[in-house]
Amino acid sequence: MPKINVMFSSRPKLLSDVLRNLIERQPDMIIVGEVIDPIELISALRTTPVDVVIITPHKANGMPRLCTQLLNEHLKLRILLITLESTGVYIYQSGSGRKYIEKPSERSILDAIRDTPE
Amino acid sequence: MSTESIRIFIADDNCLLLEGLVIMLGEQKDFVVTGTASDSRSAVEQIKDLKPEVALIDIGMPEKDGLEITQILHEDVPDVKVIILGLVDLTDEIMACIEAGAAGYVLKESSFDHLVDTIRSVHRNEAFCSPRMAASLFSRIAELTSEGKSQILADSVKLSGRELDVINLIAEGLSNKEIAKELFIETQTVKNHVHNILDKLQLHSRFETVQYARERKLLKKNP
Repeated sequence: MPKINVMFSSRPKLLSDVLRNLIERQPDMIIVGEVIDPIELISALRTTPVDVVIITPHKANGMPRLCTQLLNEHLKLRILLITLESTGVYIYQSGSGRKYIEKPSERSILDAIRDTPE
Repeated sequence: MSTESIRIFIADDNCLLLEGLVIMLGEQKDFVVTGTASDSRSAVEQIKDLKPEVALIDIGMPEKDGLEITQILHEDVPDVKVIILGLVDLTDEIMACIEAGAAGYVLKESSFDHLVDTIRSVHRNEAFCSPRMAASLFSRIAELTSEGKSQILADSVKLSGRELDVINLIAEGLSNKEIAKELFIETQTVKNHVHNILDKLQLHSRFETVQYARERKLLKKNP
């Protein structure tokens, strides 16, 4: 059974460490990379196969445009955009529009990651 | 649970971070997480009840923020060492936390390992902060000294956080009974605070106290 390839670009660092720990505890997931600036995802995804991207930006400005570009280039990609202070998560995926999870927990994040299309 | 374990309480309204920290801190052999809260009222109540050795408090808690929670805990359960989880590296905010009684300040931009080191240091009664934060603190102290504010600082240090709360409520025109209700304490305790305030400041009335606080900008709402 292939593992789910996860790449993330998350801030603040403490949340990034928590997310890394959460994903590393899952036997069906693997972290294939982490970038500091979300914009670096564009080049990173061109060289590394990724199923799910997790972004926790400092500012939401410009993020929807970045997500659109990533989805245009990678049709099967799923993007989890965790809002500032983790009050919610937007899930972007080609053909599925945008979904929203309020007050995300570890469980809801894992469920969202596992919903990756085959 | 080892008898040497450091008992930790975590208060943060970010569920994702809270759940993660419970697991990750729980994996440390010398730590045990005794409780968590995602709102300020529950945090204060539980911490007073559980009396953990270290409490991690998010600065941005809803209703009462981390600073207010720290002041309350410093007054009511002074043995609990509070570490503030902050979002920004602002000298004023860090200073305010220290003055409120915090034993440590960790930026959420710091790594988990840094948080672990800070908890252990604070538990050993040591201050632990980044070189950048130390630089900010030195700069702030120099600023206070050079601007002749050291006297103002010394004056305000005479008063505890709870006493400042009482003065602020007196300034709003509240009676002792109303202040007691507002601060969730007994009316007699408020009377004791008022007596101590007058004694410390060598003043004779509530009116003089408000004037004193207003002149020294100790009031949150300075008219």
